[in-house]
Formats: sequence, C-alpha cells, structure tokens
Amino acid sequence: MTEERPGGEHATVGTYVLVALVLTGVTALEVGVIYVRQLAPIIVPLLLAMSAAKFALVVLFYMHLRYDSRVLTFVFVGPLILATGLAVALMTLTGAFLVFNR
Amino acid sequence: MIGWLTTVDHKRVGILYGATAFAFFLVGGVEALLIRLQLAVPHNALVSAGTYNALFTMHGTTMVFLAIMPFNAMFFNYLVPLLIGARDVAFPRLNALSYWIFLGGGIFLNASFLTGTPPDVGWFGYANLTSRQFTPGPSVDFWILSLQILGVSSMIAGVNFIVTIVNMRAPGMTMMRMPVFVWMTLVVQFLIVLAFPPITVGLIFLMFDRFFGTLFYEVAAGADLHLWQHLFWIFGHPEVYILILPAFGIVSEVLPTFARKPLFGAPVVVYSGVLIGFFGFGVWSHHMFAAGMGPVADSAFSIATMLIAIPTGVKIFNWLATLWGGSIRTTTALHFAVGLVGLFTIGGLSGIMHASPPVDLQQTDSYFVVAHLHYVLIGGSLFGLFAGAYYWWPKMTGRLLDERLGRLHFWVLFAGFNLAFFPQHYLGALGMPRRIYTYPPDAGWTAGNFASTVGAFGIGLGVLLFAINAWRSRRGGLAPADPWDGRTLEWRTSSPPPPHDFDAIPPVLGRDTFWREKYGRLGLVDATRTGVAPGPGVRAVQAPAHEAFHLPTPSHWPVVMALGMVTAAVGVLTHLVLVLLGALLTVFAAFRFALEHHDKPEHAHQAGGLGLDHRKLALWVFLGSECFFFGTLVATYLAYKGRSVVGPAPHEILNIPLTTISTFVLLMSSLLMVLALAAAQRGDRRETRRWLLGTALLGLVFLGFQVYEFRAFVHEGLTLQQNLFGSTFFVLTGFHGAHVSVGVLWLLTLWILDRRGRLTVGDAVKVEIAGLYWHFVDVVWIAIFTLVYLVP
Repeated sequence: MTEERPGGEHATVGTYVLVALVLTGVTALEVGVIYVRQLAPIIVPLLLAMSAAKFALVVLFYMHLRYDSRVLTFVFVGPLILATGLAVALMTLTGAFLVFNR
Repeated sequence: MIGWLTTVDHKRVGILYGATAFAFFLVGGVEALLIRLQLAVPHNALVSAGTYNALFTMHGTTMVFLAIMPFNAMFFNYLVPLLIGARDVAFPRLNALSYWIFLGGGIFLNASFLTGTPPDVGWFGYANLTSRQFTPGPSVDFWILSLQILGVSSMIAGVNFIVTIVNMRAPGMTMMRMPVFVWMTLVVQFLIVLAFPPITVGLIFLMFDRFFGTLFYEVAAGADLHLWQHLFWIFGHPEVYILILPAFGIVSEVLPTFARKPLFGAPVVVYSGVLIGFFGFGVWSHHMFAAGMGPVADSAFSIATMLIAIPTGVKIFNWLATLWGGSIRTTTALHFAVGLVGLFTIGGLSGIMHASPPVDLQQTDSYFVVAHLHYVLIGGSLFGLFAGAYYWWPKMTGRLLDERLGRLHFWVLFAGFNLAFFPQHYLGALGMPRRIYTYPPDAGWTAGNFASTVGAFGIGLGVLLFAINAWRSRRGGLAPADPWDGRTLEWRTSSPPPPHDFDAIPPVLGRDTFWREKYGRLGLVDATRTGVAPGPGVRAVQAPAHEAFHLPTPSHWPVVMALGMVTAAVGVLTHLVLVLLGALLTVFAAFRFALEHHDKPEHAHQAGGLGLDHRKLALWVFLGSECFFFGTLVATYLAYKGRSVVGPAPHEILNIPLTTISTFVLLMSSLLMVLALAAAQRGDRRETRRWLLGTALLGLVFLGFQVYEFRAFVHEGLTLQQNLFGSTFFVLTGFHGAHVSVGVLWLLTLWILDRRGRLTVGDAVKVEIAGLYWHFVDVVWIAIFTLVYLVP
C-alpha cells in the first residue's frame, strides 16, 4: 500500500477522461495560436505555458503525483527544476536566446 | 568461485568492488610513476610524446572512474545497509549487476593497451581533438564506450542506494538520525543519477559524430565546441564532489569515534554536504574560465565557486571542533582522517585561488592546477579512503590491521605525497604547463620535477606498505564486534557480519544510536551480543528471538548481462555481428533477470518503512535522471537552432498537422494506460489486457508516424549529416522514439504475462511502474512537440 497524502484520494476514470479531453483541447489551441499573427509577440511564452500545463496535468493525474507521497514529488520535481535551470543556463551560455530575437 | 560470480550479498559485492578498485588503482599508479619518471629530468626520452599523452589520459580516467569511485562503492555497498540497520540493499541483483558492468567497462578500457591504441586525448576528451578528423584510430572509441558502460554501472548503483537509504532504514532511524556517512552517500547518489546523463548525451554526440557523421562538434557546420566543454563539466564538477563527499562522510565517522565525542554540529555537517551537492551543479564553468565565455559568465561562476567554499569550510571547522577537547586515541584511521583535514584544506586554498578568473588565467593548464587537484583527490579522497579502510577493516574481514605498520604507511604516504605535489605549486607558478612530456633544462623546473618524482615513489612505497599490512592481516589478530568502541550500528553485529547482517533489526535510539545504547541514560546493553560490559546505570537484556527473514538468492544473470554489454562494445570496434549478438544477449539476460523472481510470493511485497514500494521509488528516481537526459538533448537542439549553415530549415520541412495527429495518438495512449492500471488494481484481467494492448498499439501507431516522418525528411534532403538541424532533430526525436519502443516492449511483455495468467492483483504495481514510464515518455513528447515543432 503506497503512502498517500491525507485524504487518501484517488483519481477516478471520469477524471482521467476529463484530463484527456483537456489535453486534446490544449493541443488544438497550441496548434491554432501559431497561425494567429496578432499573437506573434507573445507566442513563445504562450506556447510554453500551454505545454507546461499539459505536462503538469499528465504528471499530477496520470502519474498520480497529486495523490502520492511527497517523497516522490521531491525525487522528480527537484531534478526537473534543476534540469530546466541547467538547460536554460546552457542555452544562455551558448547564445541560444539570441535566436529567439532574430 | 561460482559463489562469488553469482553473489548478490552486499558485503561480497563490496569486497569485489574493493579488490577490483585496488587492482585498477595499482594500474593507475604505475601510469603515474611512468609519467613522473619521464618528467624526472629534462629532455627525457623514456616515453614518446604520444605514449605520454596516453599515460596521463589513462591515469586520470583510471583513477577517477576505476579506482576512487569503486573504492567509494566498496564502502557504500558494505556499510550502508549495516549503518541503517537493513539486511541488504533494496535491489541485491541490480547491485551485483552494477559491479559486473563496472568490471567489464574497466577491462574494456584497459584492453585498449592490447591493441596499441589507448586513449590519448586527456581524461576530459575535449572536442574537436576527439573528432575522427584529428584522432582517426579507435583510441577515443575505447574511451567513449567504456565511459558509457561505466556510466550505466554508476546509474544503476545510484538508483539502488537512493531507494535503500530512503526506504530501508530501521524503525526509528529518521533521516537526521542517520550517520553522516549515509547522508553523504545519499547526496553522492543523487549527484550520480543527475550528473551522468549530461555526459552520456555529450558522449552520444561524440560517438555519433565519429560513427555516423553527425555535426555536433563540427565547427564548419556551425557547431560550438564549447558545447562539449559544457556537457563534460556539467558532469565533471559534480563528479569531483562524487569523489570527495564519501571521504568527508568517512572522516565524520572516524573523528567522533577516536575523539570519543559526538560529531560537532552534526546537522550542520549534513546540511553543508547537501548544499555542496546542490551548488555543485552551479559552478561547472569555472573549468572554462580560459575558454572565452565572456565577463558575465566568468563573474557568475566565480561568485558561485567562492560561495561553495563556505559549506566546505563549515565541515572543516566542525571536524576540528569535534577533536577539540576530545579523548583522542591516535589510531591509524585517525591519522588519515586528520591528514585529510589538513591536506584538503591546502587543496581548498589553491582551489579558492582558481575561483578568481584573472588568477585562474595564469594558473589554468599549469602545474598549479595539477597540485590543487592532487591535494584534494589524494589528500582528500585517498586519505579518507585509507581512514575508512583502517577503521572498517576489522568489520569487513574479521581481522585487525597492524597499527604500527599502519602509522608507518601514513607517514611514508604523507611525506611522499607532499614531496610529490607541493613543489608542483611552484612549478605551476614558474610557468610549467600541464600535459607536456618534457621540458628544457634552463626552464628552472628541474629540481621541482625531480623532487616530485622522488615523492611519487614515496607514495608508491606507502601503498606497498598498505598492501603488506593487508596481506599480513590474514593471520593477524581476530577482531571483536566492536574494536573501536564505536557509535553506529555496524559495530553492533559480528566482525564480519553474518549473511543476514543482524539477527534482529536493531533498535534506533537517536543519532549515534549504538553509543546511546551502550552508554546513554536510557541505554540497554545486550552484553552477549556486543561483548561490551554494560556501563553504570545500564542494564543488560536478553537477545531478542531471531526474526524470520528472506535472504536474496544468488543469480548469474548480472554476469550474463554485463558480458552482453561488453560484447556489444567490442563489436562496435570490430564487427557488426558482435554488436547484434551482444545486444541480443543483453536483452535476453535482461528479460530473464526481470522475470527471475516474478512469481515468487516473497518478492511480491517490496515496500519500505515509508510505505513506498521500492520499485516505484526507483522508477521515479530514474525519471528524475531522465529529465536531465532529455533536458540536455532539448537544450542542445535549442542551442543549435538557427545555426545551420545549409538547409533545409525547420520551417521548410516540419509537418505540423501530421505531428499534431501523432501527438494526439500518444496523448490518448496515456489515457488507455491509466485505464489499464485502474483495471489491474481492481483485478479485472480482461480489461487490463485490453487497455495494455491498446496502449501498446497506439505507441506503435506513434512510432509509425515517426518512421513516416523520418523517411519523408530524408527524401526531402534532411539527414543526420546534412546540417545541425538534421543532427539535433534526428538524435532528439530518435532517442524519444527509442524510449517509446522500450515502452511498447514493456507493455507487450505485461500483456503476455497477463494472458498466461501470471499477472495478479498483487502485480498491479508492475503495471503502475510501466505506466509511470509510459506517461513520462508522453510528457517528454509534449515538451518536444512545443519546443521543436511549434515554437517559431
């Protein structure tokens, strides 16, 4: 029996289907916004935010992290944040962010 | 012999690591002595320039990966379960596997001598010296492949020990009651699982450049050679903390025992170790101050490097305060521990100098750095390891090392080491560069080099004295369970411990729990077990009845798997048939390994003290490291975006509508996967099979879309070798596809098991773990779809 957060919640099948629908919708939105010229100035942060939202939905609900032990959250989210930071640092050091401004 | 080949006992695996590490240490030592002989006098012709390059490359690679790391692994393996009151590690067979893979990798690396092509590009292998253009022979290939093999070994062990420490502590052993050595081990394992993926990716890039003509380190194609340096040192700097933190942990155990005082500020020592590990990921470019990163980057890393000295300094002061006012027993172990404190401080002081970029511009690539790194690695790591050897030898062998010979060993080593490396500070300040095979007589370096060579042989003599001491101990005095009046749990069982470590899981009364048990106000002493008479006000108790416990059974699959991996590596350098044979053998052995205990009831329940399943925790740790793996691939793709010298460019070729459909397919596969898990958890086998098969089929559909896309791109002129976009795109999405393929295989295996009635409700955790892997592959694609396909 895994250690779970207080409340002992579990996602239901209905939750899983709802998440799938949201993922589909956000994916459609992501593809749609790249064709909207008016959004060009904010397209990158917009896409990143939507992608992050999808990422979080899958991790929290499908991977059950919302309902599981905080040890698992620490073991995954810590490296995720560190890896993201290192990736950004690497891109900065190699001048990659200049590309976005071209 | 068969027993040693198939052992899964953590103590035996530890001894295997130690013996093998010592053998490689001697090899690395001989390489060092040859280096020093060549440099003893000016214009020496003992070895050629090419041979000299190979010697310093192999010396560095051997000492880092084949000596110090496995020496540390010896202590991790033998002691961590004992220190936390466990009977073994979380995954005993994986533990054996990591050893045999390490042995295979070490032998493979040194086999390069037999072919006359040892690696000769430095232990850091800077691109593009390592390219096929400048190093056409197989020397670099030996280096790449052996490092990849050794990386697998370290990663497996890292996951194993994280799960062991988090999940298998005896009741009452909270995290802050753990011995500091265990804490340092935990930090090191996190460093390993997170730092190895970047160098794995860097080596993949190098391997693909050399074998498939990709352009990751091809300047003419727009590549940046700094990329290799960044990827190497993002690993390389945490690596030096991987090398030193275990020694810090050893000192933190030895000093309190022989001062008969608790470690001063133990929580602060723990926090500083954690901070060192964390900050260690933020200082890597201090190895690149001369690489032209610019003043902003130089300043940032300089500040970070100076900051990291603070927690290290905290430890030094805590150790000194531990000794202060203590009842000191001057054992050999204490000599080495105190030696570490002094010598590492010297190495740390030169390190602080390197933290200043203007100062480092003079010192980098000079013998000043060689002096620094040897003061921290020999004065630090090696002295710490010898402290641990003298401290825990009785526990591991049941024999005592001779203290007089041990002290002679210490002083000979101390004198030899300082004679070898202190003059190198001056040699560096006088301008002597690193990695030169000879020098002119009028440079003013002759006396320093000669002294250094004499000192090196002093080190050799010291090591010989240790070997003699170890050999003679076979007939030496028998060691009692607790020869040093120790403070921690390993001294509570016999020397050496029985196969099951403890007859009964020991009580944990606090930090230094065994000391509290012997002498604390509330201490209870089992005199019959420890051989220690109860102190005043302490009452003896009956030994508790033996508990029923399950000992892990020996297995030959770890050896077979390791053999398969090495065979495949040999095949890379010889013939494709061997690659296929080796890969098949590895995959076959992996399946047999995974299913060896599948149906056994004693393996069904694998939860630890926190209620977490070992396998689930292990998978999450692995996914954390995968964040680094894919993060590095994605960062490289984005770093190289827009730098291709020739087309086609992404906007000319990427098919967003098609990829949107494949993305939808993969997202839906995640839905089917959670439905499969829900069905498995309620015992509905038919539904489990339906959704598992559905997930696997959608995965295959996704792969089909990828194959179609790849073929279309190749048809339109985009290949691995065409431009940077081709290289980065195909490698990133290709590795993602490989992960999907592994996932499909995994799911189909579960489906087949279920069809054969071999997947029960109790096996739902296995479906859960497969699901976690599958969902992670899905979220990686979510990131790739956005960053590669959608971001303009």
